[in-house]
Amino acid sequence: MTAKSRAKIIAEAATESAKRMSLADTQALFQKALLDGDDAILASVCDGAHTTRDRLFGVYLHAYRARLAVILAQDYACLAAHVGADAFAALAQAYITANPSHTPNARWFGSRFPAFLRALPGHAQHPEYADLADLEKAAGDAFDAPDADPLTIATLAQQVPPEAWGRLVFTPHPSVMLVAVETDAFALWKAIKAGEAAPSLEDRAPRHLVAWRHQGTPMVRAISGEEAMMWIEASRGVRFDVLCEMVATYDAAETAALRAAGYLQGWLTTDMLASATPAPDDESA
Amino acid sequence: MVSTMSSVTASRAPSRSRADKPDYLGFGLGLRPQHYTDILDGDPDVDWFEVISENYMVPGGRPLQMLDRIRARYPIVMHGVSLSIASTAPFDATYLAGLKALAARTEPKFVSDHLCWTGVHGVNLHDLLPIPYTREALDHVVARIQYVQDYLQRPIAIENVSSYVQFAHADMSEWEFIAEMTRRTGCWLVFDVNNVFVSAFNHGFDAYEFINGVPADRVVQFHLAGHEHATTHIIDTHDAMVPEPVWALYRAAVKRFGRVSTLIERDDNIPPLSDLVAELSTARRIACELLPELAVI
Repeated sequence: MTAKSRAKIIAEAATESAKRMSLADTQALFQKALLDGDDAILASVCDGAHTTRDRLFGVYLHAYRARLAVILAQDYACLAAHVGADAFAALAQAYITANPSHTPNARWFGSRFPAFLRALPGHAQHPEYADLADLEKAAGDAFDAPDADPLTIATLAQQVPPEAWGRLVFTPHPSVMLVAVETDAFALWKAIKAGEAAPSLEDRAPRHLVAWRHQGTPMVRAISGEEAMMWIEASRGVRFDVLCEMVATYDAAETAALRAAGYLQGWLTTDMLASATPAPDDESA
Repeated sequence: MVSTMSSVTASRAPSRSRADKPDYLGFGLGLRPQHYTDILDGDPDVDWFEVISENYMVPGGRPLQMLDRIRARYPIVMHGVSLSIASTAPFDATYLAGLKALAARTEPKFVSDHLCWTGVHGVNLHDLLPIPYTREALDHVVARIQYVQDYLQRPIAIENVSSYVQFAHADMSEWEFIAEMTRRTGCWLVFDVNNVFVSAFNHGFDAYEFINGVPADRVVQFHLAGHEHATTHIIDTHDAMVPEPVWALYRAAVKRFGRVSTLIERDDNIPPLSDLVAELSTARRIACELLPELAVI
């Protein structure tokens, strides 16, 4: 058999195979090409009017990765600015390879990016990458979190008599996102936003940041360990008088009530709470 | 069992006649966040807006607030990118429920998506991928459109996509597939003029044959956009002004399909709203020249 006739037989076999290929098999093979670079699908597609099938299929290959990389760069714009275009592109491509999208809405494609960065072997050298990503994810999640009317001091004062405030149980506004970080990612985030040089990140210690939505706009601020503890416990449904006791054990007891009231006032004036309801009078504190 | 298929066909046939053709909306733009303020503070010469459904399938916040405010002033059309009507994977029930909820909130003039698939095996590739135009694919797509229409309790509109490859095992042309699809489901059609231009160049078919092959009474919307010409092929970017060859094809489409709601669709490289309004006026002028009755609307 000549090489030419063998090639013809192979081509005819490929065509016959393609003719029999089901829609499901076609889609599986097409997807495999995009995810794994397996080009077996090329046997089932035609050359174009002006160029080859592999070049035309390359448009899909390029578009798949490019589109997802753009989504990540938009969702993590500060991180991209911090690490630089080339380094961010490498991180993005590694994420795209490791985390094919499983959501029909591209809005959530990058949700696992902070965890991905935290699990990278180089995380210890640059912990601020994952911290910054966590912060940006929290701000993004705050932006389109569920709506709820924020609780104001005036409303609370109107609805609950002062003697019942000790029994208050709070419901956080759904937009509030608490983030635990290990670097001063908040200072870094502010510097990037302001176009300033990155601050020193050598001081590594557990910190908390909070992101939430205030009048439609995502807000971010640093939060003390004590306030973070009180917020976490409040979010679990712990009564206000018990929260005050917990604050008293966290730091100076004599000013605990004042500090706790200050935190509560801050939450109420910046839309961080959705509701507060007194627990029944006889409920054990 | 012929009777089974016949009964299905017979039971669905009335749905097409029941569904009134969506109202003519005039000349619209794709709603983009960059233009929220200009739209709400100004009075742009735009008759309606089309939203990317998925951009508003979020829990809450500013996107939905903006949509609520804009829909109070303008007719809205919902245009999705993730229905994946041709996928062999099962429908995503959460996605369909979200789509239905958004439609209930937005009360769009109609709901559309693309003749494509976006992934299988639980993966979403976030692209509008082509299908082989086979009998098997047609039966599959028809069944899926019928399912979605039953679920949403409304006819949907399906748009032709740009494509870069065709499959060797196709049984028919894209327009033959579309004609049969709409005949069997009663779905409406979004006719993307740029996409026809792009695919015609890439595959070497006659764009005018495509236009003549699509049932004129099913087209409820035109999409107009730009692209990137790479000499040996054209890449659909939707990131540039509508080029002259696409305007030429638009003229042919208006002549064949008549009075059809028309949209300038810019997905990237978003210019100021005023630029898109100016581009929309070109579409308006062309349509009014060809259909003088439009000039008085």
